[in-house]
Amino acid sequence: MNNKELSHEPGLERIATGVPGLDDVLKGGFFEGAVYIVRGTPGAGKTILANQICFQHARQGKRALFVTLLAENHARMLQHLEQMSFYDAHLIPKYVYYISAFRVLEENGLKGMMDLLRREMRAHEASILILDGLIAVEETSTSDREFRKFIHELQAHAATAGCCTLLLTNGRRGEYHPEHTMVDGLITLEDVPYGKRRQRELEVRKFRGSASLRGRHPFQITDDGLIVHPRPESRFLRNTGIDNAARISTGIAQLDAMTNGGLIADSSTLVLGPSGAGKTTLGMAFLQCSSKAEPGLHFGFYESPQRLVANAGLIGIDLKSKVEAGHLEISWRPPFERVLDGLGNELIDTVRRRKVKRLFIDGWGGFAGTAETHERLGPFFAAVANELRSLGVTTMCTMETPNLIGPELLVPGTGISAVTENMILLRYSEYQGRLRRLISIMKVRGGGFDPKLREFEIGAEGLRFVDSFKTAEGVLSGYSTERSDVAATPARARKQAKGRRVSARRRGKA
Amino acid sequence: MQTVLVVDDEFGVAEVLQSILEDEGYRVATAINGKQALARLNELTPDLIMLDYMMPIMDGTQTLAAIRSNPAFATIPIIMMSSLEEAAVRETCTDYNSFLRKPFRAMAVLKLVAQLLEQSARQ
Repeated sequence: MNNKELSHEPGLERIATGVPGLDDVLKGGFFEGAVYIVRGTPGAGKTILANQICFQHARQGKRALFVTLLAENHARMLQHLEQMSFYDAHLIPKYVYYISAFRVLEENGLKGMMDLLRREMRAHEASILILDGLIAVEETSTSDREFRKFIHELQAHAATAGCCTLLLTNGRRGEYHPEHTMVDGLITLEDVPYGKRRQRELEVRKFRGSASLRGRHPFQITDDGLIVHPRPESRFLRNTGIDNAARISTGIAQLDAMTNGGLIADSSTLVLGPSGAGKTTLGMAFLQCSSKAEPGLHFGFYESPQRLVANAGLIGIDLKSKVEAGHLEISWRPPFERVLDGLGNELIDTVRRRKVKRLFIDGWGGFAGTAETHERLGPFFAAVANELRSLGVTTMCTMETPNLIGPELLVPGTGISAVTENMILLRYSEYQGRLRRLISIMKVRGGGFDPKLREFEIGAEGLRFVDSFKTAEGVLSGYSTERSDVAATPARARKQAKGRRVSARRRGKA
Repeated sequence: MQTVLVVDDEFGVAEVLQSILEDEGYRVATAINGKQALARLNELTPDLIMLDYMMPIMDGTQTLAAIRSNPAFATIPIIMMSSLEEAAVRETCTDYNSFLRKPFRAMAVLKLVAQLLEQSARQ
């Protein structure tokens, strides 16, 4: 059975959570009348999540009942919620109603508690019920059997009332929880350490009646409540090969010539090189060709939009008019502590919104710095690149190599090179007493290319190719020397002598 | 000794109120919802009632109406308590004597209780 078949559930209405990203993970939200356990350690975000769902539900004119047991008291909880944008005091008590059931549980046991829940669900016409502090019920139960009976009866009442029920608990036992086998779904919230960082992660461990996005998805608790970032590897599952024969200009005529007419449309190109080698300039030239038919996006981490446009102007690349015409968007993400998955989703969402065809990512290091583990980068980029390809986007992405000059080419081992169709290498080389910039094409998948090394210069008129290395060798090592075989040939010697005479005449005229 | 009836469903709130009021020399009775509070009224006639706004079974609005409709209890001073702002509470009920926003400070509670009991004694 595939995901599509599983997701088709005639007769079962979904209740959207309204929590950014969570409905994507749940493929549409919870089911009405179903019972879910939300498990997490103290401080994991269970109570905020549950309140956020209640208020989103209330905004649609529907009602939610929030029942606490041994949990944070209502007054303190509401004081904390006041800081959140989803909180709206006007929706209390008509649409969101808070009660405590602990005393009833203490005085009347599980039966009294069940009667209370049943009555209150009906009295408040609640279509969402939150029970915060399930562990108190578990502790009151005299046996696993009694606890399971309570869950079973609650499921029956919730189904009859069409009330989606979330049971919040921190789970006092290890991995064995008999109630997990009974409920319709299990969601865990965790705060996972990665070195000095911690990352909150949500996982749908069980979800009856539908597929869900598998695995752990990072989430953040912000002033707007929880924001879940579905992992691109689970979200973007399309596997599209390149079948577009069209070429798209790099914005540099000589580079187009080297690639037999430009980059293959929908492909991704990795531009490798050390700092200052011209990677961003290459990308700006690529984006200069943005148009109404081929909207462009600069997704960068290092330069603000104003600075980028100004720097482009200094080398004759006009991005300003492209931005003003609406053909180019510059999206700047300063490299603070971010979530890799969030960045990936923001990128894809912006591409979709703008119908982007030319994408320049500057650079890969901005993504890599946010990854919780190095191993994730390869699969992450493969998923994002696949999705971009499916959306018909031609992508250019920079990656900084650590060594400025020298014989070694140190490429960060991310696995990214395996999923990019094209690779362009920019390097420095010392030749005839000058440091020169070099460009070479290392790979063009599905098409021929000119493998020659070219020198290029960046000046007031942009990026210009020059031919300086016809007679040099050892260029890629960073230290070029005159080729002895070429220098020794009589024809070459005569040509060089003639060149010297012409230069002398010119100097004389001047 | 004056008697205060505290009506609140939330564990901890009634216990705290009971402690600080008893320390001050009041006799305190408690109930966890409006229905239970009405039953307690038949057993004792409190000098003051502290009533929570949101409760299961019978909420503050319903309880207040029931108390005021009974001539025997109609004049008992009532403090309505809520985590919500008073404006929200006044949308469903107004017939209480004073309002106490949660979370509260002990001194504020004692001051308010003493003030209402004094006013009630003068009338």
